[in-house]
Amino acid sequence: MERKNPDAALLPTLQLASYAVFAVGALLMASKAGSLPASRWEPMSAGTFPQLVFFSIAVLSGAAFVFEIIKRGIPRTSFKTAWQRFAGLQRVWINLALFVAYMAAMPKAGFIVSTFCYLFAAQLYLAPKRPLTVVVALGVALLFSFGPYYLFADVFSIYLPRARW
Amino acid sequence: MTDAFLAALGGVTEPYTLLLMAIATFAGIIAAAIPGFTITMAIVLTLPLTFSMPPMQGIAVMLSVYVGGLSGGLFSAALLGIPGTPSAVATTFDAFPMARSGQPGRALSLGLFASFIGSLISIAVLIVAAPPLALLAVKLGPWEYFALIVFALTIIASLVGDSVLRGLIAGLVGIAIATLGPDPIMSRERFTFGFELLTAGIPFLVVLIGMYAMSQLLSELEPSPARQEGASESLIGGDMRPHLLEVMKSTLLKPVNVIRSSLLGVFIGAVPGAGSSISNLVAYDQAKRASKHPESFGKGEPEGVVASESGNSSTVGGSLIPLISLGIPGSPADAVLMAAIMVHGISVGPRLILDHPDLVYSMFIAMAVASVFMLVIGVVMMRAFMRILNVPKYIVVPVVLACCAIGTYTLNNRLSDLYLLAAIGSIGYLLKKLEYPLAPLVLGVVLGPIAETNLRRAFQTSADWTLFFTRPISALLLALAVVSVVYSVYSYVRQRRLMAQRAAEADQKGPFQDSASQE
Repeated sequence: MERKNPDAALLPTLQLASYAVFAVGALLMASKAGSLPASRWEPMSAGTFPQLVFFSIAVLSGAAFVFEIIKRGIPRTSFKTAWQRFAGLQRVWINLALFVAYMAAMPKAGFIVSTFCYLFAAQLYLAPKRPLTVVVALGVALLFSFGPYYLFADVFSIYLPRARW
Repeated sequence: MTDAFLAALGGVTEPYTLLLMAIATFAGIIAAAIPGFTITMAIVLTLPLTFSMPPMQGIAVMLSVYVGGLSGGLFSAALLGIPGTPSAVATTFDAFPMARSGQPGRALSLGLFASFIGSLISIAVLIVAAPPLALLAVKLGPWEYFALIVFALTIIASLVGDSVLRGLIAGLVGIAIATLGPDPIMSRERFTFGFELLTAGIPFLVVLIGMYAMSQLLSELEPSPARQEGASESLIGGDMRPHLLEVMKSTLLKPVNVIRSSLLGVFIGAVPGAGSSISNLVAYDQAKRASKHPESFGKGEPEGVVASESGNSSTVGGSLIPLISLGIPGSPADAVLMAAIMVHGISVGPRLILDHPDLVYSMFIAMAVASVFMLVIGVVMMRAFMRILNVPKYIVVPVVLACCAIGTYTLNNRLSDLYLLAAIGSIGYLLKKLEYPLAPLVLGVVLGPIAETNLRRAFQTSADWTLFFTRPISALLLALAVVSVVYSVYSYVRQRRLMAQRAAEADQKGPFQDSASQE
């Protein structure tokens, strides 16, 4: 019944798509596992166990896909609904993008600079726009970029990445 | 035996170790008290700090965070009405109404003392149960071990999440992730597709941090106005005095509730996958059923607070039973503890207790000491925790994400792990949105190599595959695995039927009756 509503049908549609992706991906990986060379020293080769696992994923995902269709029919959603839901998670996507950029920048920019930039930018984006929050964000970014670097270096003798430029 | 115990006692009660444990317990309470910051995250982020410590000290610190964390959820549950962790859901039912009625200090003391008693009972059970189970486990062959892991994974998949199929798929995906990189017997490279990034495989802690911490933190940024904005404004005032003596007296004079809830917590904690998030609800439900005045539950009933908090805190001892005796972690938090032991070159399995009794005893002692710290710190710093709960999300989320990056890098000092973290975290968030349970996936990554090693050893010993079904313990465990899946499918079908029946009954009553009943 809930499938008549495009909004309610979005999650089942995406779940069905995920079952299909898992099933196809697992079959491809199982065939790749089958091509791993056999061992002279043991009856099971390095590819046997992964093959078992990937075939099981393919079977279970296929079963989940079929059961879902039989039980509830094909869900009907729309791109508009999907886009609206996606846009509603803007804070998540932007923060995720900032984090990915942070991870990508760390090897070049080093821990201190990349962490400072990430923390400052993420807090400014998420925090209410007030002068005080800018000061708090700056303080937190300074504390958590310089603090862990020197804590790990001086106390634990673990050196976080340094800048390479 | 006595020498090992004395060595452990000496190691844990060193002043510097005690100081570190007190700080760790405090940090665990704070972490779990902040909504959105889970116990597993706190333990993961503590791990890199323990690398430079001796094994005994490192494990003691990690356990202190664990013990502190299990009671930390109480603070946000009682003062904000929001469970700081999933293990404090039932605590909100009575601790929040009690705090709102002007007794926040009493609600917190009751919860802290119940947590303390729950931890002590669970340690006692752990001391009694783990050594004999380990002696039995040493005799298990690869067939039994493989069957045990299959059983553990099916239980985890059945207990966590709404769909058994999605749970099983998640568990298998976890095992599949563990097959990337060198194989565990011959170290032959698998599925690297020419990427140097994958040649060493994907470290399970990177998967754990990405899947658990990142996905949870990103979920915290989703719009939910009532919860987010109202949270920091609804802090409670009133009598903040702890009334500890009165609370101790009232709890100990009616010991049945706390003992029953603690034993339930220990039992549930010992079952892989069923952790404190289940035990607090079960213990609360049982206390309500056993009570002479169940109608007072949900309105600030002290027995409800005691049941929930002793139920969740006692899982720590229970969950360590399979870890210490079999080398099988039952939850992601236990998997991190296992990693913390392995980082020091100590292999975790049934021989742990035989080869390193001092380390195992130090775990028992550290848990008991951490429980005392938890009670003392919780009571003394009650007022301070109220302030900490006000830390806004815009600070918590980016800072903890940055801490995740630090934790990931320091595991192997490898920059490529940071790329893996970003990728795995993004996938974890998507899987969470699609309602795939993440606990089976993470445990699949931990248990996969153990399962593969034992399966291949079994076939190296004998090519006869029927041994899995003819050896009694192996056959029993595999049968139990099938039963657990069949039972969870059966309960799912029964639940759906009941829901359909209720919906049909509601339709028969008609719209007028419905609106009348709502009024």
